[in-house]
Amino acid sequence: MTLTQYGIKYAVHIITSNFGNLVAKVCEILLRRGHLSLKQLIGFTELTPQQVKNSLLILIQHNCVQPFSFDQSEGPKVTQYIALFDNIIHRGRFAKFLAVVSQELDTDRELILKDLLENGRLTLKQIIEGAESSKSQGDSADKDSVQESFLKLVNAHFVERCPAPEPVLGQATKQEGPAKKRGAKSAKMVEVPETIEQRVIAAAAPPEAIRFSIMIDSEADAPGGKSDNMSVGEKRKHATLEFDAEFESSDEVVLWRANFEEFIRCLRHKACVENVRARLDDEAAVVLRAMLKATRTAEKKVKTENSVPLSLNTIYEEVINSEAGRSLTMGRVRDSLSGLCDSSQERDVDEDESYSADLKKILELAQDDEVELIVLKRYGKDAYTMFRILSLAGRPIETDKISDMSQLSLVEKNETPKILYNLWKDDYLHMERLVVTGARQSQFLVWRVDKPIIWKHVLDEMFHTALNLSLRLACEEERFKEITDLPAHKLLGEMAKQWQLYRNVILVLQASLLKLDDALMLFHDF
Amino acid sequence: MSRPSALKRKQPDSSSPSESLTEHEKIVYSVIRSKQDMGIWTRDMKKEANLPDNLVGKSIKSLQAKNLIKEVVNVQSKGRKHYMAAEFEPSKELTGGDWYSNGTLDKYYISCVKDGFAKIIYQLKVATLEGISDEVKKSGIFKTSFTKQQIEEILRVLVLDKRVTEVKSTGMGEFGSFPVGKVCYKSTSKGGSKREPKVGAMASIPCGVCPRISQCTPDGIISPRTCVYFTKWLDF
Repeated sequence: MTLTQYGIKYAVHIITSNFGNLVAKVCEILLRRGHLSLKQLIGFTELTPQQVKNSLLILIQHNCVQPFSFDQSEGPKVTQYIALFDNIIHRGRFAKFLAVVSQELDTDRELILKDLLENGRLTLKQIIEGAESSKSQGDSADKDSVQESFLKLVNAHFVERCPAPEPVLGQATKQEGPAKKRGAKSAKMVEVPETIEQRVIAAAAPPEAIRFSIMIDSEADAPGGKSDNMSVGEKRKHATLEFDAEFESSDEVVLWRANFEEFIRCLRHKACVENVRARLDDEAAVVLRAMLKATRTAEKKVKTENSVPLSLNTIYEEVINSEAGRSLTMGRVRDSLSGLCDSSQERDVDEDESYSADLKKILELAQDDEVELIVLKRYGKDAYTMFRILSLAGRPIETDKISDMSQLSLVEKNETPKILYNLWKDDYLHMERLVVTGARQSQFLVWRVDKPIIWKHVLDEMFHTALNLSLRLACEEERFKEITDLPAHKLLGEMAKQWQLYRNVILVLQASLLKLDDALMLFHDF
Repeated sequence: MSRPSALKRKQPDSSSPSESLTEHEKIVYSVIRSKQDMGIWTRDMKKEANLPDNLVGKSIKSLQAKNLIKEVVNVQSKGRKHYMAAEFEPSKELTGGDWYSNGTLDKYYISCVKDGFAKIIYQLKVATLEGISDEVKKSGIFKTSFTKQQIEEILRVLVLDKRVTEVKSTGMGEFGSFPVGKVCYKSTSKGGSKREPKVGAMASIPCGVCPRISQCTPDGIISPRTCVYFTKWLDF
């Protein structure tokens, strides 16, 4: 999905509140202009080279910027920098990521992850030191247990090796010439199937085998080295290394970071399960959860449309292994599956009966709900009815026909044009004028829900709202500063009341932001 | 009635009454009758008949007294007087269709029909349009019978209200008795009763429903820092 205006503003706001104005300036230029070289960046930001360099270092350390270069046959190699929008937005989700780990694994791992999230990238040695120092006050954390926790995190794919420091991007396969490639602005305007950002991420990612491997290859992981040059065969040789030896030898040079992709996958699965629970029932939710849990590591990409196919027997086994599904019978599991799977898929029942949940559909319905609820609240019940008529129909419909279709929903006939106009005015509907020339020339208005356009508009409003909530949050914290600076024993009488008010205000804003972020993920990340 | 009853028996057809009419009445009557079940608005009638207003008025009164024409309500424009020849029933355009009675939407009737259908679908668990239609007939809860089109309309509105979902049969599980791809209807909730819509993330925040969001900027006149909707929202 292309970046929206308020998406960029919200990202810049996050960077400003995390790292200050200078870093935010560099980040904003990168977000708005696409990839740039250091020289270009200095020119656009009008900062000193040192300031830009420092800002870039911070952004790279926190995985918000990825350096890369183009594969050029002639001329010197120029390093380009590109901002990673998604990773910036993920910075507001660290609490959710930590919650995922504490649910999936346990609190012990949370500590390591917290350290990684706060510091961006760390070597194993740093991770161990960090865990030891933070635990020194209380229970003793021995090195072994930290190592064990770390291993578990890596095995669960919650932690991964950092991407290549500077991948080389091959020539674009599209017809676009090298001159055009530099202008990322134009690339963002047109819907290209793969953006430069996606290509850079793909090129920088370590191969799957190495990405979650604890075995360390000293040559490949030397600073500046390209680990993706290494063949699998070479890697296997090192697999025989003693685990302890690695910890002491070359571990400083391998950098680790939290794997946002895996967290988003977990949150996506959770959202699917909860939506199924609301739309269908608890049993369907239990079945879906079991299916997704069993196939999580087999998923190729986060935004997969269908879950990995499983046979009925495997699904049933998974279901009865979970606490909630213990009492379900095979027949009920099969009933639930009929509601979860894509009905258009041809199914050969005689063959190995395999099922795959239609995740895309589940998420689309959730998106529809969110947009419809906005329409309901903003424009009222009648507008909601008409919006649903058009959204369900998925084709343009003429004004009078919409009137007829909404009469059973008790909408007065003469209200229809007014309501449709209101929705159209705010970009929630698409309208076209049709002129029919016959014996008598007549004009019709047809209306349509154009999902890609409306959804993008809604996403932008969501980013706008997220920005507004964070700004107001900062504003309220400033307003109550006097109260929050007071020591607890001085909070009496009027002060105590003010403190309570402050608590309520902050709670509402924070909770709303968290919930809104769920919706943002639904539209942007899932 | 001025006509002798013997005459009436001889000429029972509709062409008979016009004989006892005056010249003007005949013109007005033929204009009205030519419009069939659409009827005609008095002003249009005056234009078409090309007679002075008072004559048209008189003719209408007399034709009405002879039960040759009737006044009908047009839902599109309730204020205008519409007339129609007595033997026609008003068209859907005039009445508003099956769901109107006396020119107004019969809300009570509609909600009863909706509830009845929702209940039947809930009892059937999964059903096709034909299945629902049969079940409604069998149950005898409605005195009137519904056309296929009416049933489609009712099902559509139940889907719109999210009381029923439209699903294509997967041919397995509860869809076992329906061919794959057949459109089926299924209750979304217990008892097919109305569900409270859930609260949307955006819809529960002032910005989500703000009419001024397009004018709102961090440092503008309308800004989240000074927003009155926010202030009201956060006033505990």
